[in-house]
Amino acid sequence: MSLVKKQLIVKNKSGLHARPAALFVQVANKFESRITVKRDAEVVNGKSIMGILMLGAEKDSVIIIEADGEDAQEALEELGKIISNEEDK
Amino acid sequence: MQIMDFLSKKAIITDIKSTKKEDVIKELVDTLITAGDIEKRSRNKLIESLMAREALGSTAIGQGIAIPHAKSDCVEKLVAAFGLSKKGVDFDSLDGELAYIFFLLVAPQDSAGPHLKALARISRLLKDKYFRDTLRACEDDKAVTKIISQEDEKKV
Repeated sequence: MSLVKKQLIVKNKSGLHARPAALFVQVANKFESRITVKRDAEVVNGKSIMGILMLGAEKDSVIIIEADGEDAQEALEELGKIISNEEDK
Repeated sequence: MQIMDFLSKKAIITDIKSTKKEDVIKELVDTLITAGDIEKRSRNKLIESLMAREALGSTAIGQGIAIPHAKSDCVEKLVAAFGLSKKGVDFDSLDGELAYIFFLLVAPQDSAGPHLKALARISRLLKDKYFRDTLRACEDDKAVTKIISQEDEKKV
């Protein structure tokens, strides 16, 4: 597998605050693939909580997740679920 | 949003004495009370909220940084205390490292926006290792205020 990317809308009602960011990063780190998250001009490492927090992505903001590596497709699917989850976990 | 918009100048500790998570949180809350940002009668309830948040997952985000935070009706706008620990504190960080730099945030109830912006701003401020090291070397509150203000001004 090579590079895959997906555009998503943040559904969590409080946005990507510390807890969902921590969850996202924990899941991202399970994968070998390089994970990048973009919001507007901001591009961050998807395996760093600080990176995700830097996006300041509130509810309904549009982000793009990019995964590059052997397990890219799987990573994208799992990470997409976190972003699309409406519950504030 | 700039850091100095919500960081209470009088609530900066450059030598946190506590070595346990809960004690560090208490020390930072107490400095907000001394600074006059929070009323003393709200102390215990606020500490409880902050610890409840920690129980859901540590706010130590790695790189030696922790950002304990809670929403509370004891504030009308976002307020933060800052602390440095020379020895480091075991804050159950995800990367397993000790925490040295603390931003404790108290946000009003029903206010996701400013809280999220503050987290983004703090992360941006602290992403640079050189800046983190400079910050950790600060000996007094004036030095902390000075370098954070300088970074605030750089922001477009």
